[in-house]
Amino acid sequence: MIHNAQLIKQGAEAKVYLAPFCQRQAIIKERFAKAYRHPTLDKKLTSRRVIQEARCLNRCQKAFIDTPTVYLVDVDSSLIYMEFIEGCSVRDYLTTDDGHLPEAQAKVAKEIGTALGKMHNIDVVHGDLTTSNLMMRKESGSLVLIDFGLSYVSNLIEDKAVDLYVLERAFTSTHPNTEVMFAQILEAYGQNSKASKLILKKLEDVRMRGRKRSMLG
Amino acid sequence: MESFPIDTLPQAGYIHMACFISVKNAADLKERLQIQDKSLTFAMVQSSLIMDVFQLLVAATRSAQDNDAGKLKTQTLSSEIVYNLSPTNNIAESLRRFSIDETTKSLVAIKIGGEADQVLEEMSNTIDGNLVSFSKLDQEKDMIKLRKYYKIDPKVTDDTAILNWIIGAIAMKNIQ
Repeated sequence: MIHNAQLIKQGAEAKVYLAPFCQRQAIIKERFAKAYRHPTLDKKLTSRRVIQEARCLNRCQKAFIDTPTVYLVDVDSSLIYMEFIEGCSVRDYLTTDDGHLPEAQAKVAKEIGTALGKMHNIDVVHGDLTTSNLMMRKESGSLVLIDFGLSYVSNLIEDKAVDLYVLERAFTSTHPNTEVMFAQILEAYGQNSKASKLILKKLEDVRMRGRKRSMLG
Repeated sequence: MESFPIDTLPQAGYIHMACFISVKNAADLKERLQIQDKSLTFAMVQSSLIMDVFQLLVAATRSAQDNDAGKLKTQTLSSEIVYNLSPTNNIAESLRRFSIDETTKSLVAIKIGGEADQVLEEMSNTIDGNLVSFSKLDQEKDMIKLRKYYKIDPKVTDDTAILNWIIGAIAMKNIQ
């Protein structure tokens, strides 16, 4: 680990640092060991997830979905070095004066829906869509998807619908009165996702029962 | 010549790089590489395949780390840098594409570790060419080869996006 790395975020799975890397600023995401797991299993799971996260990021990049570029993957130390995105999260943006304007919200919503549609088209399911994991580049204003720590590849309608449902819940719980905006996200999603009809229909089922599938039957 | 710290492994020393043009002894250098001449202590790559210094720094950093972990895939740290520039795991192909050949006129020499003055002297004494600044790299790019080797989508057109694509490809090579 870089000695002058600055810890900027700590979650349940990983620590996120900002550090100099090859003449740039880079984000370093470190997955740490879980003491409650058997060490052998822990090592295996952690390295698999590091690889999975990097692969999903790269897959998105290749499909023209704005995501941080992966710089280096150090599987042995469970580190991913990646591009530092300068900008603010959609979560913060929606609390600014600008972010309250309907036109501004509509523009962001369209970008979010488009990005998610493209992401689901290549069968990447983000797994943790919240407004904190959506960022806007300071320079271009482009919408960037970040934190693919829980992402995986799946072509199931169910998984994609749950992905959208998680975002919907994040919206309604963190940003009151944004129902219109979420509807605009789904509209843009519908125009950009190949299987949108089926996925949006499934979303209605998911809304009725919640994120977890019923274990009955 | 320019020297850069290895942020992830400061104890490994610096990454020294120098850009040479109008090189006249490429055939001789290539020959020495082939017989694995131990007195050749630095790597040489085609400057036409370098989009940005960052690309070299990432490949070199990774090589330094793998060396430290005792996990080199090739014979030497120098060849590892050349290998790590390539997005594929085919060593022979990687070296053939990114290393110099008999006809090379412009190249970048890279060495990890050592004193800057000595490294520069060694490079200048070995390579019969003109030492130039890295800004020259921009004029050397062979976009056709870069696109082919890194399998860059034709829709990617701006330089930043191309560089990001290249870095992504290099980063993913060991976990594809």
